[in-house]
Amino acid sequence: MGAAPQQTSPDQRVADFRKIFSRAENEVARVIVGYQDVIRKLLTALFCGGHILIEGVPGLGKTLMVKAASETLGLSFKRIQFTPDLMPSDIIGTQVLTEADGHREFQFKQGPIFAHMVLGDEINRATPKTQSAVLEAMEEHQVTVFGTTYPLPPPYIVLATQNPIELEGTYPLPEAQMDRFIFKVVMGSPKPDELREILNRTTGTAQNPIHPLFESAKAPQAIEDLKALVREVMVAEPLERYIISVIGGCTPGGPGAIPEVSQYLRFGPSPRGAQAMILCAKANALLAGRVSVSYDDIDDSIVPCLRHRLLLNFQAEAENVSSESILEQVIKRLRRPRT
Amino acid sequence: MAPDRAATLSLALFAVAAIALVAGAILAWREYRARVDFIGAAVELDDLLGSQEQIVTLATLANPAGPDGIRARRTPLFPVLWRRAIACFEGFDARREFKLEVGEPLKRSSIFAGVVAFAMILATLGLVRVPSPETLQAARLRAIATRIAKTASTAEDSDLVAKIREAADALENPKLPPEEKKKRIEEAKQQAEKAAEKRNNSQSGNGQGTGTSKAQNGTGNSKGTGQGKSEAAGTGAGQGKSGAGQGKSETGKQSGKNENGKGGSGSAKNDNNHKNKNKGDKSSVELQNELAKAEAQVETADAKNPGPESQPGDDKNKGGGNKPGDDKNQTGGSQPNPNLPGNIPKPGVDGDRNIPAAGGKNTNGPDRGSNLGDTHLGEMPLPLSAQRYLKPGEKGAAVDIKDARYVMFRIPGATVSAGTGKTVLDSERHRATTAYVNAPLAPSSDNAPPDERQLVPPRYRDMIH
Repeated sequence: MGAAPQQTSPDQRVADFRKIFSRAENEVARVIVGYQDVIRKLLTALFCGGHILIEGVPGLGKTLMVKAASETLGLSFKRIQFTPDLMPSDIIGTQVLTEADGHREFQFKQGPIFAHMVLGDEINRATPKTQSAVLEAMEEHQVTVFGTTYPLPPPYIVLATQNPIELEGTYPLPEAQMDRFIFKVVMGSPKPDELREILNRTTGTAQNPIHPLFESAKAPQAIEDLKALVREVMVAEPLERYIISVIGGCTPGGPGAIPEVSQYLRFGPSPRGAQAMILCAKANALLAGRVSVSYDDIDDSIVPCLRHRLLLNFQAEAENVSSESILEQVIKRLRRPRT
Repeated sequence: MAPDRAATLSLALFAVAAIALVAGAILAWREYRARVDFIGAAVELDDLLGSQEQIVTLATLANPAGPDGIRARRTPLFPVLWRRAIACFEGFDARREFKLEVGEPLKRSSIFAGVVAFAMILATLGLVRVPSPETLQAARLRAIATRIAKTASTAEDSDLVAKIREAADALENPKLPPEEKKKRIEEAKQQAEKAAEKRNNSQSGNGQGTGTSKAQNGTGNSKGTGQGKSEAAGTGAGQGKSGAGQGKSETGKQSGKNENGKGGSGSAKNDNNHKNKNKGDKSSVELQNELAKAEAQVETADAKNPGPESQPGDDKNKGGGNKPGDDKNQTGGSQPNPNLPGNIPKPGVDGDRNIPAAGGKNTNGPDRGSNLGDTHLGEMPLPLSAQRYLKPGEKGAAVDIKDARYVMFRIPGATVSAGTGKTVLDSERHRATTAYVNAPLAPSSDNAPPDERQLVPPRYRDMIH
């Protein structure tokens, strides 16, 4: 695990990826009951090098899921509870005056953002100023304090949660920040069987320890290798055109935009949406044991990658039209006929 | 089908054929372009093999016609892709998978072809016209002309052929006036006669015959010589008792006939032209007949259709097409030409003469009307015997109008008294008893009480009333 790509055959690398991914899924699933799709998207976002926005009511195990994933992969994990009075320095870190050997100097004290996996809990409760402090970290994988840039340790992933209820006193994420999340996954309520299993696991004496897949020292490199493997997956030209047509179809006034898009959307997805779709499709292809993307891989990536990038207009909100329903219409119209 | 319509149809057929060829070529070119598309073929194979777009990905990265940087997009995983794409072709039989199926394309194209054929049939039927008698006659003349042209040896024959064809063209040309048609037919006739005469002249005097005869009563032998004309027969005068020779141009033999005894036999040599004589005669007679028929048809059509073609002034009679006097068989025609200056038709001039209208038979007995036709304006006959309706209270025979073409009414303004001749008003005339003036109605008053009354519940009625 974690060997250099040139020392392992390509077939072996693909097989290793599937094996690691599967084991990580199973390890997280030992702690989290259900939500296989959310777990898969979380790990996919990690291997794609993106960040993920998880939306769900409190008490569903979002924090536990992220913590379990970080422990499984042997990555560092930090949690930030966003509140209205949270300041950017509370996240990024600040200069503190230290005295050593008779000298006084400012020393940078890292904030909780310095970790491989950062959980921003209820990110919409922080002020826009604090939220924007996370922007540079998410996109550039670095923070700048008093003119000094500090790189964040790779692999770096921000997992933000958002509470869809209690909107009073919240600050909805700006569009620019929403665009930086590769996925937005929605966690619903657990099914009755899953809830019973949750009760059994959490209210008894049985412990479910997590077995890390990598040693902490080697984990970052191993994850980076797997991320590189994802990017090596190849995409055919017709499939690229299909992705472009989907983006165009979701853009009001764009080429091939369907009537629903022009009627209910203010803005469509940015090029980041297409990037997210390709990366997600590549990861899906690897998980299927292929080294090239298929149409099915792309179709599976459309909704999680684009649902938070569509800006609905007032009419859509008035008519209770969701971005998911619009995306389904787009897929239905643009889906390539299969033989 | 008329020649102009046939030409239109053939042009349309050529145009349709050209369009079909061009469309077919474009479709074939498009199909060819689609088939030579490297990536498109890979997509088709992917669909066929269900290889999850591995083949098309391989084709994209291995496309020889692709951009230069396409090879740079190959990753270390490319060999894996190559092997897996090749593995997809195991058990793939291209001949089995890509069968030449002509049924479906034929079925698809047959719909279009059927529609085009149906349209062309409809167009053909629309352009086909029932030939008129003139057209048929012209066709017959052309057939004769063709026959003559095959055996034509002289310049007269060639001229005759040309004249016949001109006459045929003129005959079926509806724009030509009848006089012009007749003129062309007449020219053809004259040319035919001239050609026949020339032919006769060239054949006369060429046959000579000799004959011997033996008298039965023993008076001696006689010798006779005969000279035959090319047209029919030659007569010969015999020396001896009596001898006669007859020559027959067709066989070239002559036989002597003796009334009194056995005649000898004679022989004569004729010119080679005599072989075609009867044939030429037949054609000549047939031609004369057909030309006569054509002339008759022109006259018939002229009589039936007094159209604008027969303009006054074109005719020698200066009368126009359908007027009495034009027909030689009619006894009428004393009516002056109304189109000539100063010749105003006078009503009633020929009214009593029972002159039928031109171009038709008078089947209704004596015609009291005009011979100028019903639609001739300015012609109103004077009443010969006026009948009148009975006055109120008067008794007598009722008005009996039968077969009248015109009925004129004269409405008296006042009655004339019988004795004095003084005009008095008719006091017995019926008068209207009701007012006939549309006087406006009196306006309704706004102060009038309304018709309806407010209903009052029963329990309140006692309180109000």
